[in-house]
Amino acid sequence: MNLQAIAFYVLSVITVVSALGVVSARNPVHSVLYLILSFFTAAGLFVLLGAEFLAMLLIVVYVGAVAVLFLFVVMMLDVDFGSLREGFVRYLPIGGVVAAVLVVEMVLVATAVGEQGAAKGSGAPDILLDAPNTEQIGRVLYTDYIYFFQAAGMVLLVAMIGAIVLTLRHRPGVKRQSVMDQVARTPAKGMRIVQVKTGEGISE
Amino acid sequence: MTALLVILVFGPLLGATVAGLFGRRIGDTPSRVITTGFLFLSCFLSWYTFSQVTWGEWGGQHIVRLLPFINVADFHSDWSIRLDALSAVMLVVVTSVSALVHLYSWGYMADDPSKPRFFAYLSLFTFAMLMLVTAADFMQLFFGWEGVGLASYLLIGFWFHKPTANAASIKAFVVNRVGDFGFALGIMTIYWMFHTIRFAELFPLIAAKAGTNWTFISQEWSALDLAAILLFIGAMGKSAQFFLHTWLPDAMEGPTPVSALIHAATMVTAGVYMVCLLSPLFEYAPAARTLVTVIGATTALFAATVGLAQNDIKRVIAYSTCSQLGYMFFAAGVGAYQAAMFHLFTHAFFKALLFLGAGSVINGMHHEQDMRKMGALWKLMPITYAVMTIGTIAITGIGIPGLDLGFAGFYSKDTIIEAAWAASGSPAGAFAFVVGVFAAGLTAFYSWRLVFMTFHGTGKWKHDDHAHDAHADHDDDHGHGHGDHGHAHVPHESPWVMLVPLLLLSIGAIGAGFAFHEYFVGEGQVEFWKGAIFNGPHNEILHHAHLAPLDIKLAPLVATAIGTIGAIWVYLLNEGMRARIAANGGPIHTFIYNKWFFDELYNATFVRGAKFLGDLFWKGGDQKIIDGLGPNGVAAVTAFAGKGVGKIQTGYVYHYAFVMLLGVAGLLSYALWAWAR
Amino acid sequence: MMDFSGAVALALPEIILAVGALILLMVGAFGGDKSTGLVSVGSGGVLIAGAVAAAYGPLGSTFNGGFVADNAAAFAKVFIYGFSAVGVLLGDRWLKRMAASKFEFPVLIVIAALGMGMMASAGDLISLYIGVELQSLALYVLCAFRRDDAKASEAGLKYFVLGALSSGLLLYGASLIYGFAGSTKFVDIAAAVQAGAGQGAIFGVVFLICGLAFKVSAAPFHMWTPDVYEGAPTPVVAFVAAAPKMAAMVLFARALLQGFPGAVGQWQQVLVVVAALSMGWGALAGLRQRNLKRLLAYSSVTNIGYALLGIAAGTDQGVTAMLVFMVLYMIDTTGLFACLLALNRDGKPMETLADFAGLAKEKPGLALCITGLSFSVMGIPPFAGFWAKFYVFKAAIAAGLWPIAVFGLVASVVAAFYYLRIIKTMWFDPSPGRTDASPLDARGVAVAAALFSCGLVVLALNPLDTVAKLAAAAFHLS
Repeated sequence: MNLQAIAFYVLSVITVVSALGVVSARNPVHSVLYLILSFFTAAGLFVLLGAEFLAMLLIVVYVGAVAVLFLFVVMMLDVDFGSLREGFVRYLPIGGVVAAVLVVEMVLVATAVGEQGAAKGSGAPDILLDAPNTEQIGRVLYTDYIYFFQAAGMVLLVAMIGAIVLTLRHRPGVKRQSVMDQVARTPAKGMRIVQVKTGEGISE
Repeated sequence: MTALLVILVFGPLLGATVAGLFGRRIGDTPSRVITTGFLFLSCFLSWYTFSQVTWGEWGGQHIVRLLPFINVADFHSDWSIRLDALSAVMLVVVTSVSALVHLYSWGYMADDPSKPRFFAYLSLFTFAMLMLVTAADFMQLFFGWEGVGLASYLLIGFWFHKPTANAASIKAFVVNRVGDFGFALGIMTIYWMFHTIRFAELFPLIAAKAGTNWTFISQEWSALDLAAILLFIGAMGKSAQFFLHTWLPDAMEGPTPVSALIHAATMVTAGVYMVCLLSPLFEYAPAARTLVTVIGATTALFAATVGLAQNDIKRVIAYSTCSQLGYMFFAAGVGAYQAAMFHLFTHAFFKALLFLGAGSVINGMHHEQDMRKMGALWKLMPITYAVMTIGTIAITGIGIPGLDLGFAGFYSKDTIIEAAWAASGSPAGAFAFVVGVFAAGLTAFYSWRLVFMTFHGTGKWKHDDHAHDAHADHDDDHGHGHGDHGHAHVPHESPWVMLVPLLLLSIGAIGAGFAFHEYFVGEGQVEFWKGAIFNGPHNEILHHAHLAPLDIKLAPLVATAIGTIGAIWVYLLNEGMRARIAANGGPIHTFIYNKWFFDELYNATFVRGAKFLGDLFWKGGDQKIIDGLGPNGVAAVTAFAGKGVGKIQTGYVYHYAFVMLLGVAGLLSYALWAWAR
Repeated sequence: MMDFSGAVALALPEIILAVGALILLMVGAFGGDKSTGLVSVGSGGVLIAGAVAAAYGPLGSTFNGGFVADNAAAFAKVFIYGFSAVGVLLGDRWLKRMAASKFEFPVLIVIAALGMGMMASAGDLISLYIGVELQSLALYVLCAFRRDDAKASEAGLKYFVLGALSSGLLLYGASLIYGFAGSTKFVDIAAAVQAGAGQGAIFGVVFLICGLAFKVSAAPFHMWTPDVYEGAPTPVVAFVAAAPKMAAMVLFARALLQGFPGAVGQWQQVLVVVAALSMGWGALAGLRQRNLKRLLAYSSVTNIGYALLGIAAGTDQGVTAMLVFMVLYMIDTTGLFACLLALNRDGKPMETLADFAGLAKEKPGLALCITGLSFSVMGIPPFAGFWAKFYVFKAAIAAGLWPIAVFGLVASVVAAFYYLRIIKTMWFDPSPGRTDASPLDARGVAVAAALFSCGLVVLALNPLDTVAKLAAAAFHLS
């Protein structure tokens, strides 16, 4: 058993355990922290596979942005997670049974496939070592996968439009600062000279 | 010829369609004119056709194919018109009686609110009957057979507001179903054996099959006998023969013209016609012929005895019809098909005459049918009296044997009895001969009884206030009564529109036998029938019948005379005697009066049994099992399941998600299980 | 790989839609609310241009096998884009009546249509997934478009959450398949399965079926349907109920028939179960519904069951039947929702059964449309729905699936109950009050759909059959 194997088992065990922690932790903040841990270990697994770029992406995007955003949301929204979890015990037995069934079935298939060696001969394409990881991704991303890349762009566009449509509100009567107006303001616009008669005051 | 025949056959259908569909719109009179007009046209064409077939150029057999009906593999059937001597005779009988009945109905149905319907039914019946008699294969025969059955059902139940009429129409239909079942089986047997149902193709094949045996209900049967017996069962139903006769007396619930047309002259003779038409088959089916003879003779005797004790004027004639049909059948059974057809022909005239005459009496008596309430009508209804007497003489068959001179019934009935004598070598033939002579006496007795009770003696109607009071109310409602006399309660003669058909028919009743006996049964019969009726190589019944000695020829006349004298004795000279007999009764009178208890027997066995079975299947089988498990059960389960399925739709996302995951797990498990097999 | 111009030519319909959507977005963003009408018209134009381009475009495969332009795709796209254009029309008019016009609405429909087009043309698991996501995301937003309406927001959210779950299943299945087959391209997967990648990949197929079943709302993955149909704005539902189903069904057919032609026996069993569940569940659950939109949701579940039966047959005839069925069903369902759109009482939409009482006296024309369309969906000959079912059952029986065809017939008898109840309510019950004047657009669509389903279908059936056969031939089945 070499070092790589040790690293793999350690990392994968931590990944699975922390993933379990995500769904079982009582405190939602802890859940998010478990999630971050599982991202980290998954990134480690990527490194083991020789995909350093993906590992870095995982950490930068998922840990750095997504998970931290989750954390903010969880902490800022005052959601009573206790009440959300009320049904947990009630549904645990039947949920557990379903999960167990799924697990058993996957194991069955995995062993069957393992024995037959079905995937032989059609593994992942060989990694060309003439270029770094990042460059290789870049090569296919903008050539073979240009269609998917562009389409994914459309997906993001929709997400953006959706976010705007669903949240942007033009409320009338809201006071906003308008720099243009401020700069363009002249004394003539801003002032009015009124002759005040004695004893009458101004009434408008 | 084709066009002529098509008009002849389909004219009544056209009339029926117009009157039936547009009767309300075009009104009563146009409906009557159209239907009656078409019928008279048909009648005229029929006589023309008959003359052409008999004396003219249309001799032999002609088949006019109109349209294909069914063509499946080697099963072929067409709509066609078959013209030969047999069908020509039937055409004449059917259209003549029908035309006269149409005319008669103008008067008889004058007060009825739904005249177009009545005339449409009458014409529809006539069309169906014409289809029947011109059929060139079994399919069309069956079509006509069922068509007349339908029309008969509709007409018996014409006054559908009367429960008895409804019951009678249903009874007629159901009893006929029993016969039709046999008929249909017979047709299937024929097809099974010969692979054709066309008469023209079938008849030459029959001789070759004689002696073939078949296993049916695990018994060996002569194949031809089996087919012939099954077909004869159909004829029994339609012609009201013994066992299946019970519907005919009840059918008198229909209007009297209907009784005259359908239940005396035409439809009920369809069975006889069929047996004669199938003479090539029956000639090779000796067992079937024996059965026909025995059933026919039994019916002749049975119906005549029952006729002795009935008091309803129409029922007496109905049993008389039954009895006369028995004569025809045993004539056919002994092999004298010509005699059977001849009796059919003459019988049509005098029986229609008797029925229409009875209708005239009923009309004059303001719809009173009980003969015990009549009497002494001869002065008030002289013409009706005259024609009824003619009809009675005709049916009793009075004539002078030595000179061959007499009324219609004389020729035909005596020929039948002589034929039975000629066949008396066999037990069935001997039985038929004895019954024929004895029943002739009975016929004379009940026929004269009818005339005497109705027209002679003292008028019982004078004391019956209740009936004509009710009738007077009826008249007030309608604002017009019968005829133009002031006293509605006095019996009166019928209008001319009813009397003219009676007079025309009485000519037939007097002269039909004299005019046609040479052709039908005499020396000219071979030339007349031109092969339409087949006699086997050893069948010389008719020839032997003519050679009957004088004492045999006198036998029926003597019997008739005895019957007549008996009737005169009981009903004319000792008027009180009838009531005494009826009152003292005795088992024989009771037995006869109650029609041999046939209705009671059938009620106790078939009707009750069927009702029990029906209840069993309906309440137990259909309601509990089929409805319970089927429609109602499914509906209940569906509603229940709908409720259950609806409950899952809670609105909670995690429930939905859970259902989805359950689905994934379930499908995976199922897939693994299915693949592992 | 083809050269660039060839690729553009093949993907022209999608390029038109994508570029059109971007331009229209700019128009809307800079033009403000005034430009909404222009954007709507433009969206309609773009969709119709896309349909035309799809109908007359060249055939082939490009982008490394990720994009397939064959007859099946063209067939689907013509109808998808056409019905999306109808969706734009109904939605735009409706928003205008609600005084809630926004230029994003038509743009989102165009983008959703783009996603559907990609689904119809997907030749690869990745394009499958991206197409599905693009379409779904746009639909989620559309469902929640009236964000101030609690029901609509709830509908959008539910759709989104459950949709994410189904995407998870889809991805899981896709990664299993990729793992065992070593490729994401359908063609390569088929070869790998043929070579013996066997059970592992087929295990993934079950997940794939589950994920796609959600998109077509087949039982037991249909749970979102009634809630979303009820909560979402009616014109959005009219859109969601028609075009996306067509896209997903074609994708379903393509993924299974092109990706796993060698394993028909295996996935057929799963698909038959899904189809049976859909038919039965939809028919039963609809019985107790009194809200017409929910009822139509269950109706769509049942009908998707029939359509799946066509795919499950796994034959040329089956795919033809599915395509014909989907087209006829789209027309029926769009017509029915247009009827709902056309009916308002006191400014509120009429959605419950009780609202429809006595409609025949109030609005005889629309009542007649609803009656005709209901008869059609029930499958009464000679209306469109009858032919649709007839095709599917014929194909299923020819493929030896007669027990399930019989089950389908029974289900359609059960389902007939709820349509008949609508008809009975409309024609025989007393009316509770006057209805508002119905808008021209919805009425027009309803009448057109009813006319087609109740009459013109007899003329259209033959050409439709011919074209569908041509389309089905693209899958190279026996």
